[in-house]
Amino acid sequence: MKNEKLKGKDLINVGIYSAIYFVIIFALAMLGYIPIFMPLLCVVGPIIGGIPFMLFLTKVKKFGMILVMSIIMGILMLLTGMGYYALIVGTISGLLAELVYWSGRYKSESKAVLASGVFSVWIWGNFIPLFTNIEGYFSTRQDFGQQYIDTLTNLMPAWMCPTLLVSAFLSGIIGGLLGKAILKKHFIGAGLV
Amino acid sequence: MRHSMMQSDVENRGLILDPRTKLFLLITMATFVLGGAGSDGLWFLTPCLCLIPLVLLLFSRKYKAAIKYSIIYLTMYFSFHYFGQKTTGITNFLLLGTTGIITRFMPNLMLGLYVVSTTTVSEFTAAMLRLHVSEKLIIPLSVMFRFFPTVTDEFSSINAAMRMREISFGGKNVKKMLEYRLVPLLTCSSRIGEELSAAALTRGLGGNVRRTNVCEIGFHIQDFILILLCFVPFLLVILPLSRVL
Repeated sequence: MKNEKLKGKDLINVGIYSAIYFVIIFALAMLGYIPIFMPLLCVVGPIIGGIPFMLFLTKVKKFGMILVMSIIMGILMLLTGMGYYALIVGTISGLLAELVYWSGRYKSESKAVLASGVFSVWIWGNFIPLFTNIEGYFSTRQDFGQQYIDTLTNLMPAWMCPTLLVSAFLSGIIGGLLGKAILKKHFIGAGLV
Repeated sequence: MRHSMMQSDVENRGLILDPRTKLFLLITMATFVLGGAGSDGLWFLTPCLCLIPLVLLLFSRKYKAAIKYSIIYLTMYFSFHYFGQKTTGITNFLLLGTTGIITRFMPNLMLGLYVVSTTTVSEFTAAMLRLHVSEKLIIPLSVMFRFFPTVTDEFSSINAAMRMREISFGGKNVKKMLEYRLVPLLTCSSRIGEELSAAALTRGLGGNVRRTNVCEIGFHIQDFILILLCFVPFLLVILPLSRVL
């Protein structure tokens, strides 16, 4: 089973679920447009996005589908102007999520929840520019005084970076559990899965 | 923006750029404005790069977006540099945080808006083919762009129906908001998706033959100008380094 190649129908499925996932993330991003609350997207996005993602995982039967979806999220982020960081992070986290779900032979439910957590890490990629080259960014503004530098360093302290990563992962797992519950309640009975 | 994502009106869009130029522009902006590379000693670079989305928006006749962008960016830029020194404490904290983040992210988001609203799906696919991107990425991407309007349409209809049942913010059943929206959305879009995939398969998507594309893309003079402009910041960063070596 694992050696089968991706066919047209699988790729179309990836496209459809990527569209649903992205529309939901996009709608959430519109809600969180106040910059100070932006880091919250790392939590809300994976939790709600976990629901369509879990439905998507029920359609995944071949190696590569999660990876392709993750790369597509990265490409969309590049196109909408969030930079290429999510593309890099997404490629790695997508591959890891793929391996996690693959190790459960694309059936295990607990591995699916874990895969949802790992997959969600791509969102964290969008926050990397806030933490890159902090020193270089501040060195140009030396004339503003030390107080200014302290303020901004407090706003985006370096420990926030791993915290966001972990919170994206944990929220992804919560989203996966939520998605699993909703799948049980609505979709399995209706014969959609 | 949602309804215009990759659904550009071909006749009325002014200056046409090759999608590959747009990708290069996006990468340049992401490196220098968003990532803040080379910001030491090159303080003038960022504001100059921020002019690019404005010029492009004007050339593609998106005057409203261009005006909004310039007003917001200028307000943020000046309040960052002017009030940033005058205020203290929590006001200073909030002000610098907000303006700092907006001045960093907004130029890129505007360029993104320009790119998705002036590129058609076929053009994008053609560019991806020329860049030798795998079919495995191109097929899902083109399906997805085709599917966006459908999903957003369904989403807004479901929203309207749920608002009528008072399942919304401020209504009686706030708790049910999420479940009662997402479940119908997923159910109907997975159905539509199955129909769509059957339709696409009959048109030969995912077959063994190389698909053709009627879109003609290529580099013109405006592409060369912009690509040259994009090389400037990279050179400005690399040249001092090579002198040290």
